[in-house]
Amino acid sequence: MAEIVLETKGLTKYYGAKPALDHLDLRVPRGCICGFLGRNGAGKTTAIKLMLGLLTPTAGSATLLGCDSTALTPAIRQRIGYVTEGHRLLRWMSIGRLEEFQRAFFPKQWDGRLFAEMIEYFELSRRQKIKHLSNGQRAQVSLALALAPNPELLVMDDPTLGLDAAIRRQFLEGMIELIMRQGRTVLFSSHILADVERVADRIVVIDKGVLRADCPLEQFRMSVRKVVVHFENSAPADVELAGLLHFRRSERQLELTLVGVGDAEVADWAARAGAERFDFVEMNLEDQFIEFTAPPHRRRLFQWEKA
Amino acid sequence: MRFLALSRKELRESLPWLLLAGLLLLGVGLLILRSEARFARMDKQHWSSRQALGPGEVVNTYALVRSPHLTMVAMWLAFIGPGLGLVLGVCHFWVPLFARTWSFLLHRSTSRMSILGAKLAAAILGLLISLGLVWTGLYWYACRPGLLPIPEPIQILIVGWVYIAIGLVVYMGTALSALSTARWYTTRIFGLAFAALAAFVILLQWHLGWVLVLTVLAIAILFVQTVAAFLSREF
Repeated sequence: MAEIVLETKGLTKYYGAKPALDHLDLRVPRGCICGFLGRNGAGKTTAIKLMLGLLTPTAGSATLLGCDSTALTPAIRQRIGYVTEGHRLLRWMSIGRLEEFQRAFFPKQWDGRLFAEMIEYFELSRRQKIKHLSNGQRAQVSLALALAPNPELLVMDDPTLGLDAAIRRQFLEGMIELIMRQGRTVLFSSHILADVERVADRIVVIDKGVLRADCPLEQFRMSVRKVVVHFENSAPADVELAGLLHFRRSERQLELTLVGVGDAEVADWAARAGAERFDFVEMNLEDQFIEFTAPPHRRRLFQWEKA
Repeated sequence: MRFLALSRKELRESLPWLLLAGLLLLGVGLLILRSEARFARMDKQHWSSRQALGPGEVVNTYALVRSPHLTMVAMWLAFIGPGLGLVLGVCHFWVPLFARTWSFLLHRSTSRMSILGAKLAAAILGLLISLGLVWTGLYWYACRPGLLPIPEPIQILIVGWVYIAIGLVVYMGTALSALSTARWYTTRIFGLAFAALAAFVILLQWHLGWVLVLTVLAIAILFVQTVAAFLSREF
């Protein structure tokens, strides 16, 4: 089994009486590219800040590279790259000066050539001041700064937020190329599903601070399904089926969103309910995510089995 | 190297304010001292001509009885010192809050104490260079033989340095207020209020010993509070 690089156990954060993160249990193995998904305000940034020791947990713990997040030593931090949300960099510095500043903290491991290559790839100049860069360009500088020290673990908080499609693709391609080349462990939060689908091999979904899924991307893709069940007469008013997320009913039709339910179980239920036929509907990741994190009044509670 | 990089960054960020404060003090100081020197020359000539009139004439003793000339410059320093402390505190602790760069800064391969230490070192160095050096230079200039009729007492130099130290007190008070997560009308104001009160109490003292004791005490209290707040704060 691969070494666990990032682990949280019952990680909880309350702001006053309001839970921002509720008992998050997570294990990210080495070499994994983990997409951290959640709607706005789901608790992604809080979770990342807790993992990096920028916030103190109300309960539980997070461990990065074997070190407790509340006591990350400079030596451990040296092995972790962090791209902040919104790419907040020191605005008065030029790219060259920012590189100098960043390099001072990674004297032995700084890869100046990689940084130069990335800056060139993104068509930037060292003389450009951060304050004169667009949001997308700042994102590119952020990525170059985070990758040049060759971190073992790269944590990125919504790195493609606010970027246009072209810049986002360029950013992701730069990221993929480097990740593939050097086999790093990456945790990145996002709510742009296409980005996650393109890059991640594992996804973690949180909703209102609660972990809803932690599994390989493919498993998630196969587990969340939509099935339309047709009835000759009127469709039943209620559905009792393990793994049912929610359903929509029309006169002679039921649209079920299911998780972790096999074909045979669906067929069995349909036969018992007196259905005429049923069809599985193709869903993309975005549809799956939206259905999966739908508000409580539209979904049923279920026990998600973590992979 | 890391500490140096951090201190350099902090110094560079506050450089315009340090230059402004230093140049303002230098400009005001030179203007006052040059004017004083000119008046002193005129007085001397006037006094000499009156002397020539013979005994019993009224002599202009203005130059002999007036306060030390640097006092006026020191009054300016009493505003510039704490003012610069306030501005540096805002630069080092408030601006990263508004610009939301704390996360970037804190995820360094260095301890939080080093980050805070670099900020304090930059503030102390900034105050020392921009105000301390200029003030000492002005004192040295005022003491040049022949420039002013009365030699400047060493006490005025120390008083000036106390104003600079009050700048450091205000800096730490600003830092403490910035680091507090309480509301303004509750304990967040404590840092600045304490600094203002400490400055007021220090300025009321007549005895130099008390001035020094109270200044050191105020700095020590604010330092301990600032360190505790910075190490435990969530960003």
